[in-house]
Amino acid sequence: MKRKLNAFWRVTKAGGNNFLRNAWLSIAATAVMTVALTIMLGAVVLHVSTGNAVKELSKKIKVTIYLKDGATEERRDMVKARLQSQEGVDNITFVDRREAERRFKTNQNQQDKAFIEQALALTGATTLPESLEVSLTDLSKSNSIVAIAKEQGYKDVVDDVSVGKNDVAKETIERATSAQRYITRGSIFAAILFAAVSVLIIFNTIRMAIFTRSEEIRIMKLIGATPNYIRGPFLVESCMYGFIAGVLANVAVYTAILSIGPKIQNQAEFSASYALFTSTSVMLISLAGAILVGIMVGIFSSMLAMNKHLKLKHW
Amino acid sequence: MILLDRVTKTYSKKGAALERISLHVEPKEFVIIVGHSGAGKSTLLKLLTREEKPTSGKILVGGIDYERLKDRDIPYLRRKIGVVFQDFKLLPAKTVFENVAFALEIVGLSNREIKHTVPKVLDLVGLKGKEDSYPSELSGGERQRVAIARAVVRQPKILIADEPTGNLDPKHAWDVIRVLEKINHYGTTVLLTTHNQEIVNKLKRRVVTIDGGHIVSDKAGGSYK
Repeated sequence: MKRKLNAFWRVTKAGGNNFLRNAWLSIAATAVMTVALTIMLGAVVLHVSTGNAVKELSKKIKVTIYLKDGATEERRDMVKARLQSQEGVDNITFVDRREAERRFKTNQNQQDKAFIEQALALTGATTLPESLEVSLTDLSKSNSIVAIAKEQGYKDVVDDVSVGKNDVAKETIERATSAQRYITRGSIFAAILFAAVSVLIIFNTIRMAIFTRSEEIRIMKLIGATPNYIRGPFLVESCMYGFIAGVLANVAVYTAILSIGPKIQNQAEFSASYALFTSTSVMLISLAGAILVGIMVGIFSSMLAMNKHLKLKHW
Repeated sequence: MILLDRVTKTYSKKGAALERISLHVEPKEFVIIVGHSGAGKSTLLKLLTREEKPTSGKILVGGIDYERLKDRDIPYLRRKIGVVFQDFKLLPAKTVFENVAFALEIVGLSNREIKHTVPKVLDLVGLKGKEDSYPSELSGGERQRVAIARAVVRQPKILIADEPTGNLDPKHAWDVIRVLEKINHYGTTVLLTTHNQEIVNKLKRRVVTIDGGHIVSDKAGGSYK
């Protein structure tokens, strides 16, 4: 066991020496991997942030289900329960007449007020109707909510259904959703591209290290070094690229988050995301994740190079 | 210690490098293998270090049957056999001490054990005081003695020396041979290949002559013409 530990320590040390010996190649390999990991992390941050922002905006648009006069509480609760079980529904609020009137009186929008008064005059109604207000987390589900509310079975309780308070907000959300989709796809493509470039650069770095040390490797084989002892330094070297790149990518992404975040964290759309990304656990997960991905890319590249150029099987 | 039973090694295009050779070497023996270039001496040594596999026949070294030897066990076999090459195969960027220590590092010995062992072996091969020199600062004979020190530092039962005097002048060649004799005297079986008639004739050891892939003579206290 002690001998294995000694050998492990020497392999690690040799890997570190290889890293320093080919300083320029090591810097190039680490830099490209840093870019790839920064894009990957950035993509995750953007995806989550825009997703949260869209969710927050979606809550502002509500599906209002106007109830018929005389609809019983039992029937109203049936509709509510059915809608509550649907995907994308955040919460459902029952608005009684008193609350509807209070809202009408406190409404500052004169245009809305005039419209409602006109509608009441036309229908001959004296009071505002009771309603169920459905908040959504996913705007695309609004149509299915409307369809359910308009089902034949609820004719006795549902009078009418209205979606959204203003079309501009709906359009903004749709644009944001579409932008989120494109940003995510673009980031994934860029991350894959840079990951492929870093695989190629690490492959070449390890290949050159193998050629440089070919005589040493041959001597190692002849005097009884195991394949793992010979491979070890190359694996350590490529793990170092991944480790350093993972740390640097986190530094880059968190520098951006911490410099932009305070300026936008008061906006409801971004406050949740900022709190999420600046929590200690998420910071640690981000660091560990980037390092792990970096190390995996490094190991994959060096294994490719070793399988091709380090002929350990042919003794 | 070493047993070869009707061993044949055929390279696909060149024909048989060795053909049905049988050889038995006792523990602590000093055997000189002679023959012209291309006679099959190096192939024989490569079979013993398992750099090559025999086409047919049986090889047993120190009780290990090569037929049953798995690839993953080859490094452990090589740790039991010391090998010295004509071109030394030293690492130029490492000092004498580091070159010898290299053989101990790969088996996981601690730095303390290495610092304790290496000077003793360097003393054995007559290189005390040269620990910090680089191979480029040494004569051919000294370099070969460093290679011998590296080969014996793990105290192998067998030492294979493939033309160790090939690149050396007579004086340095004899220095190397004296070191090999000393190592044999301490109980290591030595297999030496050489072209040097004077060395073979003066040593008066068992001489195995290979020609055209066959053992043509095997005599104790033999000579080479």
